Amino acid sequence: MAASISGLLKPWTPRVFQVRWSRYNPYYLEPEVRKEAYSTPETELSAEEKAQRELKALRPIKAATSGVNSSVFSDPVLSKFINMVMTDGNKVLAREIMAQTLENIKRKQVEKYHKAPEGKKEEIECNPYTIFHQALENCKPVVGLASIQKGGKYYQVPIPLTDNRRRYLAMKWMITECRDNKHRRTHMYEKLSQELLAASVKEGNVIKKKFELHKMAEANRAYAHYRWW
Amino acid sequence: MALYRLSFRLRQTVTHVRSLHTSGCGQQQEAVAVESEPEPFSVFRAQENDPACQSEKCMGQYYTLPSAHIRTLFPHSLPWRYQQQVKTFNEACMMVRQPALEVISYLKKADYSKPSLRYLFYGLKGSGKTMSLCHTVHFCYTQGWLVLHVPDAHLWVKNCKELLPSSYNTSRFDQPLQATEWLRSFRITNEHFLSKIKTKQRYVWTKREFTEEGSPLGELVDQGIARVKSSSDVVGAVMKELRLQSGQPESDFRLAVAVDGVNALWGRSTIKKEDKSAVDVEELTLVHNLKKLMTNDWTGGAIITTLSQTGSLYTSKSAYLPQELLGERGFDSMDPFIPVSVPNYSEKEFESCYLYFMDRQWLQHPQSRTEEGKKELIFLSNRNPSMLDRICASYEVRRRYIRPTHTNICPINT
Repeated sequence: MAASISGLLKPWTPRVFQVRWSRYNPYYLEPEVRKEAYSTPETELSAEEKAQRELKALRPIKAATSGVNSSVFSDPVLSKFINMVMTDGNKVLAREIMAQTLENIKRKQVEKYHKAPEGKKEEIECNPYTIFHQALENCKPVVGLASIQKGGKYYQVPIPLTDNRRRYLAMKWMITECRDNKHRRTHMYEKLSQELLAASVKEGNVIKKKFELHKMAEANRAYAHYRWW
Repeated sequence: MALYRLSFRLRQTVTHVRSLHTSGCGQQQEAVAVESEPEPFSVFRAQENDPACQSEKCMGQYYTLPSAHIRTLFPHSLPWRYQQQVKTFNEACMMVRQPALEVISYLKKADYSKPSLRYLFYGLKGSGKTMSLCHTVHFCYTQGWLVLHVPDAHLWVKNCKELLPSSYNTSRFDQPLQATEWLRSFRITNEHFLSKIKTKQRYVWTKREFTEEGSPLGELVDQGIARVKSSSDVVGAVMKELRLQSGQPESDFRLAVAVDGVNALWGRSTIKKEDKSAVDVEELTLVHNLKKLMTNDWTGGAIITTLSQTGSLYTSKSAYLPQELLGERGFDSMDPFIPVSVPNYSEKEFESCYLYFMDRQWLQHPQSRTEEGKKELIFLSNRNPSMLDRICASYEVRRRYIRPTHTNICPINT
């Protein structure tokens, strides 16, 4: 029995090599980072959570990456965005840029809040996290285009996108827009904060890009049956 | 894999539910506390906005500085982050803390016929030394004193774009840009004194320009701003006049000399002469004249100073005590002085800061309103005022930036 388990835990290579794969054997479980999972007593757990706990006692666990933490302020979407802003592995700089962006958004909104008359105060959104999430939601495309070959020619065919792909596209467009199409001398946090604030109210270049993609997909509706999946 | 995604969604709902639950409990507890013990820290705004009337009851509370005072007293002298905070919150509120109150009480009781006393604020980085200095200077201003405020002495010993040999003494160097900037802010701060004080000596600037004896101080200051080349000498002349006149029985003003980063006057400078040799701080006119003001051989005023490691040159980051930062020469010149320690926030002060930020809509994250979020803020900032300000601004402050203190145990992983 020991031989079969140690056989499972060998350095694992998949039969078909994938584009993005993990060196970990699929036998390994993900680490649990949340504090609440460890502080709930035995009685409050449901049956499946108890089974999960027993499984964790037996199976090996992957090492936690340095990007996750048990802070109450951690946000997985924000961590993903920070990873995408990062270049050359400089996570410290990427986090600093993100921190300055959020602070900038908060400052602009709080200043507007304090200068606004009493009636208008409830409409101003001051939370930079809700603005960030709202902006990303507004930038996510609904359909995407795939290049499919039929009869010697390549057609742009509208296809449904998974949630991860939509989120990835929204973030990528946001970052490339800020890197390429803004004035050279402005700081990244300034560019990002302007673009995020505009996107949260459905204005700005990223929203325009999303609508152009939607228009292309609508124009190529006739080729939708070329998709076979 | 599916289980992992499920736990992700569970995590979101669990934290939301938890935050609603705890915030409700927190509010109930706060309400009960207010009813049973009406202590000052549950109300974070001070009743007294005048620094002269503030007492220990206001400790930890915020008082508002009128915007007119800010424009005249601190044209460019407030710390940058505080200036941004004033702009964002649309009001300038400062916390009343124990070191500043102590120095203000000494200033009220001091005997101004004796030589002037020297007060020195010292403490860890970001603990509030400059803000305590600004509070004391505001008190002096409201009492009608003449305020001579040098916002940062370190700016005079580094990054000098123009260095001229001094016309008065060939072995010294002038800094026209810094001198004119300081004269401009001096003029804005002390408008009403400029016509009242008269010079006691005749000053000759060039063959055709001179300032007669008995002319108002305003004329001297205008001369310095208009003729940039002689501005450093004008600064020296202004300081000399004020020093001589402040103790005299016929002058009706008191002089407050406020210098931030006083350890720059006895440190080293990064300014280079044309032959690439370093300039000694003693060879700079501005520094030389300011050092004469820092001696206690004049009466009728007070000298309030701050140590600062942040802008200082060739000092280690962990140095914060007067002996380390002033060096031997500095300590001997400043001795005897009254050292005032500025510690991090106490629990009461932290509560007050937290409530103030909540009131001004600065703490926006839903988790920061819970008990756990508050505990995390205390842990991350160690109740250091500037760290708390940065963390409350954005919770993504990079972990490596969090300042080590002398009680630091283990590094926090990124």
